[in-house]
Amino acid sequence: MDLARRSDVTPPATSSPDAARDPAPARKRRRSRAGLAFIAPFGALFALVFIVPILYAAFLSLFQERLLGGTTFVGFANYGKLFRDPQFWDGVGRVFRFTLVQVPIMLLFAMALALALDSRRVHGIRFFRATIFLPYAVPAIVSTLMWGFLLGVKYGLFGSLNHALGTDLDPFAPGNTLISIGLMVTWAFTGFNMLIFYSALKAVPRELYEAAAIDGANEFQIIRAIKLPALRGSLVVTIIFSIIGTFQMFNEPQILPTMVANSGVTTYYTPNLYAYNLAFTGSQQGYAAALALVMAAITIAVAYAVQIRGLRNASDQ
Amino acid sequence: MRLSRKVRLLCAALVPMFGLAACSGGANGGGDAGGGDEQVKITVWSWDGTVEKAVPGFQAANPNIKVEVVNAGSSQDEYKALDNAIQAGSGVPDLVMFEYFAVPYFAIPGKLADLGEFGADKLKDDYVPAAWGDVTVNGKVYALPSDYGPSAMFYNAATLKKAGVDKPPATWDEYYEAAKKVHALGGDHYIAQDTGDIFFLLSLIWQAGGRPFKVDGNKVHIDFTDEGTTKAVAFWQKMLDEGLVNTKVTGWSDDWNRTLNDGSLATQTMGGWLTSTLPERAPKAAGDFRVALMPQWEQGDKVGAENGGSSFGIPAAAPHKEAAFKFLEYFTHGAGLQTRVDAGAFVPNKSVLDSEAFRNKAVDYFGGQKVGAVLAEASEIVGSGWQYPPFFEWARSIYGDIASPYYTSGKVSLAQILEQWKQRCIQYGNEQGFQVD
Repeated sequence: MDLARRSDVTPPATSSPDAARDPAPARKRRRSRAGLAFIAPFGALFALVFIVPILYAAFLSLFQERLLGGTTFVGFANYGKLFRDPQFWDGVGRVFRFTLVQVPIMLLFAMALALALDSRRVHGIRFFRATIFLPYAVPAIVSTLMWGFLLGVKYGLFGSLNHALGTDLDPFAPGNTLISIGLMVTWAFTGFNMLIFYSALKAVPRELYEAAAIDGANEFQIIRAIKLPALRGSLVVTIIFSIIGTFQMFNEPQILPTMVANSGVTTYYTPNLYAYNLAFTGSQQGYAAALALVMAAITIAVAYAVQIRGLRNASDQ
Repeated sequence: MRLSRKVRLLCAALVPMFGLAACSGGANGGGDAGGGDEQVKITVWSWDGTVEKAVPGFQAANPNIKVEVVNAGSSQDEYKALDNAIQAGSGVPDLVMFEYFAVPYFAIPGKLADLGEFGADKLKDDYVPAAWGDVTVNGKVYALPSDYGPSAMFYNAATLKKAGVDKPPATWDEYYEAAKKVHALGGDHYIAQDTGDIFFLLSLIWQAGGRPFKVDGNKVHIDFTDEGTTKAVAFWQKMLDEGLVNTKVTGWSDDWNRTLNDGSLATQTMGGWLTSTLPERAPKAAGDFRVALMPQWEQGDKVGAENGGSSFGIPAAAPHKEAAFKFLEYFTHGAGLQTRVDAGAFVPNKSVLDSEAFRNKAVDYFGGQKVGAVLAEASEIVGSGWQYPPFFEWARSIYGDIASPYYTSGKVSLAQILEQWKQRCIQYGNEQGFQVD
């Protein structure tokens, strides 16, 4: 962190007003040109795979496609329509609520597991590490199908459970579906986040623990004073990853309706799903592009806010 | 050691990439415009497995045309892929499978070639009238029917018998009485399931004489209050209100397969194409199912409806239209038709439906019933004059959004759902440049 900050405050050499009077301007310019050649391959690829698609989406978002009359330029009308579209805001609200509940639970889980693995009191660390990480390697499509069967009330595991206990719970009733999806996502991503936390803990110098032991600190004091502060940086990273991930939720609500009837999943359940359906079923590519860009802007804004806040806290130390 | 593993991994990663590149190169190959003596390769998108069976015979008769059949996904997935290909301007197939309702969606914006140019009009008399109507948009033919979905009632005779129903319900009133008896067998027994199946509801309306969509050029009129529609909707509302329909099991799901297998769903009022998938989905119920005409609204009537069915059209951007039409005619009308029928396709061609071989074939799965005769009759009595709006593909995709809360909470009614659906359709249709009211 220190390193990054130091390089941030170093003023760029070329921006100095004295640059023209620099004793060796020619050499400097040549050097910067050589630099350009070196970053050219990166720059070209970056432009091709990041800049161009975004610009193209922005371009598309200014048009309206119609079955009759073809494509017309409509300026920012798609954006105006989007801000008044209750279905869009319904989806945005849903991913926000989902993020607020699911992400803290998942990260607490992941952190607890990482601390447990790092406590050196657990046998078979490698085994547990691999097993907990394993769900991350299962494609979301497969995991959704799997959980769909597990939680199904007609013939699934949950059905048998209801039968045995005489209850009538339905994980895919419209009010519960989001919780069930939260369960699937937590299952899939806890291991991934645990691994990030675990590697951060591994980077803590062992001498600190020895010093703590000499001072007579118990395990909980060590966690509070050494381990949790060490996790701060990775916590910011995992929160950002998780926010981006949940804002882009797509697979689960896309597949569920084919398995379960009337689970409350609409065609605009999440913004991503809505964009997909607009573009491909409704032939409204321009509107979908506007939606995608607005959603990207919201995601970036939220992630950036988290980052700034997280880093400020980290530097308060 | 470590290096060699990396190299192997790299190879594993690269091989599929090159493989894909090779495939896509192949699909676009054969660049010349169709016709003539030159070797032409056409690409066909189809999720109907019987089409592929017609390829060897066609290639033997037309050595200069090579046919490649690709499954680009079913229904919506395929339409999305086609829209993508058309928009990208590359990889457009020469022949594409469409459900009937999707034909106007592609035909009206000019994405499909008018098959009249190739002489398709002359084939009209071979098809049952309703099927021909399905592929005609504003007086022009844009596709040829390849399979047909006359609505029929598939019933589990064993379950009905257990419930004390000895013959299949011939009218909807009898159906209602049978439903009560079936449900009396136990909580999990129902005469049918419905979780918001718009195609089923429309087939009821269709049969009752309702014509909610009227399309005239760019004008679309939607009305769910005509007499037939009101009658059909009120009937199904009564079935739902009295809890005679399973609203938990959705069609085509794993749960559905199980309920068909264990006999707890007594009937399926669906397209005739169910004959080909039912044996796969419900192998344990072999010998129990039979087919009958849809129950009628009035004793002694004989009116049917459609539920599904598909056709093949040629995209306007297809590279080899003439060769594509040759193949299309071959497997929907010519010598390839029988090959497909033998492989299980249910086609709307009169030459097939009227043939003795088709009508007299006993099918083991259906307890030796001559299924063909029933379905041929169901095809011929389909009520005419039904139209789908050009944006039906979109409309059906959002129907579930509106209907789903009803099926879980029981609030509002089917009529109100249809009214809401109509409002959404009007809004969308007008945005899309149609005049909808």
